Amino acid sequence: MSRTAEVIVVGAGIVGSAIGAELALLGHDVMIVEQGVPGAAVSGASLACIGSHMIDVEELPLLAWARDAWRTLDEEVGGFDYNPCGQLRFVLNKQDLAVARAWIEVERSAGLNVELLVPAQVREVEPSLTGPVLAASWSRDDAVVNPFLAVRALLDRARDCGARLETHCRVDSLIEREGKIAGVRCATTDMSAEHVVLAAGPWTARLAAGLGMNLPIRPRKAQCLATVRIPPSIRRVVGACESDGGVEAGYTQIQQTRNGQVLFNTVLADGLVDDGAQDRIPEVDAAFIRDSVGTLLFLFPDLRSVRLLRSWVRFEAVTPDNRFLIGPLGPEGLWVAAGDCGAGFTRAPAIARLIGQMLGDDRPAFDTTLYAPDRFSCESPTST
Amino acid sequence: MRRRHTCDIVVVGAGPAGLSAAQAAAEKGLDVVVVDANSRPGGQYYMQPLAAGSAFARSTQVMRGKTEVRNATAAGVTMLLATEVWGAFPGFVFHAQDPDGAVCIESKAVIVATGAHDRVQAFPGWTLPGVMTPGAGQRLAKTSGVPPGRRTVLAGSGPFLLPVAGTVLKAGGTLVEVVEARSSLLPTLPLIAVHPDKWLETLRLVFPILAARTRLRFGEVVVAASGEERVREVELAPLDAGGQPDLARRRVVSDIDALLVGFGFQPQIELTAVLGCRHHFDEEAGGWCCTVMRDCGATDICGVFAAGEVCGVGGAVPAALSGRIAGLAAAGQILDEETALERRSLVRRLQRARRFAGGLNRRFMPPSGVAEILSDETIICRCEDVTAGEIRKEIAGGMDTIHGVKLWTRAGMGPCQARFCGWSLARLVAEETGKTMGEIGFSRPRIPLRPVPLNVVRDSIL
Repeated sequence: MSRTAEVIVVGAGIVGSAIGAELALLGHDVMIVEQGVPGAAVSGASLACIGSHMIDVEELPLLAWARDAWRTLDEEVGGFDYNPCGQLRFVLNKQDLAVARAWIEVERSAGLNVELLVPAQVREVEPSLTGPVLAASWSRDDAVVNPFLAVRALLDRARDCGARLETHCRVDSLIEREGKIAGVRCATTDMSAEHVVLAAGPWTARLAAGLGMNLPIRPRKAQCLATVRIPPSIRRVVGACESDGGVEAGYTQIQQTRNGQVLFNTVLADGLVDDGAQDRIPEVDAAFIRDSVGTLLFLFPDLRSVRLLRSWVRFEAVTPDNRFLIGPLGPEGLWVAAGDCGAGFTRAPAIARLIGQMLGDDRPAFDTTLYAPDRFSCESPTST
Repeated sequence: MRRRHTCDIVVVGAGPAGLSAAQAAAEKGLDVVVVDANSRPGGQYYMQPLAAGSAFARSTQVMRGKTEVRNATAAGVTMLLATEVWGAFPGFVFHAQDPDGAVCIESKAVIVATGAHDRVQAFPGWTLPGVMTPGAGQRLAKTSGVPPGRRTVLAGSGPFLLPVAGTVLKAGGTLVEVVEARSSLLPTLPLIAVHPDKWLETLRLVFPILAARTRLRFGEVVVAASGEERVREVELAPLDAGGQPDLARRRVVSDIDALLVGFGFQPQIELTAVLGCRHHFDEEAGGWCCTVMRDCGATDICGVFAAGEVCGVGGAVPAALSGRIAGLAAAGQILDEETALERRSLVRRLQRARRFAGGLNRRFMPPSGVAEILSDETIICRCEDVTAGEIRKEIAGGMDTIHGVKLWTRAGMGPCQARFCGWSLARLVAEETGKTMGEIGFSRPRIPLRPVPLNVVRDSIL
């Protein structure tokens, strides 16, 4: 059995779904191929914050555009619990305060709506945050979405524009002919295409390796906890301002879903693991539970008798500089859009836009050198 | 603050399997701690009444349970009761909670004897007050001495309906009808005939039902229940030649206030799953079972043993034997002592007991046709309010595993973590997709095994 499409998108997470929708909207004949259930591998486990605050100064134009794109998507399509609740980042010491001030200055000069709050103002914005914080930054335009429903909304949009979706279909390898991509090979079938877009998160490197390309993407253990449903208590996305910067230094995210569950995590260990770990999901670490519950109760002591219900673990795709790999890769017609570093939701619409522009030979709307797949080495990761 | 216990072996579950395992290991001179969520040891089988002077206080099972508990205690076993394990971490660290807060147990090996729980069948009206599983009805009657209702209908399939009927009668309730889904009990007679040790037990179970002149019906299943604040009526339909309920020929039984419906048990595999043990699907043994070596109870994870119903539902006799086997083997591993000789005759008896249990289970397999009786409005997952219609929609959209359906509908994601809805959900998905229960997988348990207050978690992990 053989199937044909103009473009095959490998992966139906948030990035693959957004790309599929964008390319289908642009009139391409698209097939999205997913090894399991759409959104079930990494995206569905995300806390799905849509924000531009304290992420990456150089990426601000892309992040700001992407954040607006999510709001537009909510207006046009809706149905994915888009909640423009804003984001607070708590500050515990003077050193972090200086860092928060620096971020706020840069972001404000880029036109973002960010400010520093003193404790009394923090209580106004988030009344149940009664823990002893020194201050908090407040990014009021940030939002949060339901990750599954967001994946679904984008897949529905893709299908409405004629895209096809194959689930439970694992791509084992890429097919290359005479320096050009020719399609993908699955367990039971080959599919041919002029373009293949790898949006397979932590599984992307393995597919590229099949063509002799070494992508610097490693899996990182991402963990999360959820309480039972409780009455509305936490209004915002609550995170930590860390002076060392970057996820490796540790991060916190706390939020309450529409159905009332509090989702939270505090990650202090780096969690980077070897390729292959993403294939077998382990349990959460004891230290992770300790840090996450400790941070939550430090900030929200009134939640102490709320019951913990569930934990989950996924593996996100991490690159050395915490930025995606977006762009052409190796043989003509092969593209990559992977390397979420735990923050793929915000960027997904912008990544889709970039891929659409590059694939259609249009001028990219954002600085693509930041995301060039070959930016890490002198010898470019082309096929050997 | 947390209380900490260190021991050689922790046994989770104080039913027939757990008590035997603990006693066997303690008799080898090891330090053994048994943890059980209930406030009295014994599990479902040796359930100890809470109400003094209850009609059940001196039953054979209760007295045997007392003896088992006394023997284990005499062998030096420490019992942590009303203690619920919520987390298991590498290095045999177990976190639990009791009424006073956090409890931490560290050991060198673990024997999982968590037993089984009722297979709950959803049908229109199953969420009404007064509708419960036979196991819940029995627990209520045995611990409090009060029957589940004044006028009870008991339905479903399997030998467990017999002791539950006896319990309801003994607690003073009226059994309006007992309805077995199988068309006849005759196929069980040859099996019982070749196991003389079961004759007396069979008579003991059947006699009270006959003596009370309870109406027995065969070949029918519950297809709906109704009532305003409580169940008042039940609709039953006969099974046709293909084993499907014939809804055209349904009948109504009115004026009831309790309805117990159950189709046997399924192994309680949450802890073995979180410990990373291998599991297999065995329909006759209740579904997904922890895979163990039958002659020692070892799982595929070093130091993790499993005994009793968690390895396949078979009742108290194989449970106690497999418990003793696992207790000896686990102790032997820690002491570096060969126990195969001691286990040999136990293993033979276990094989025989398992054969009988398997034969019995095979004769009482739950009927198919679940999809038939579930209307689109029927709630499957009561924690997250997910209906059969919503699940069917996802299946039509291509979801064909429990995992996929769960992620997309949230069925099984609430506080019960699929303990109530898991079986109905699995049967619905299997029937609608045409796949087997083994192919569609199970809802993967994760830490915490039971909901646990955040401050207990904070006190637990230092």
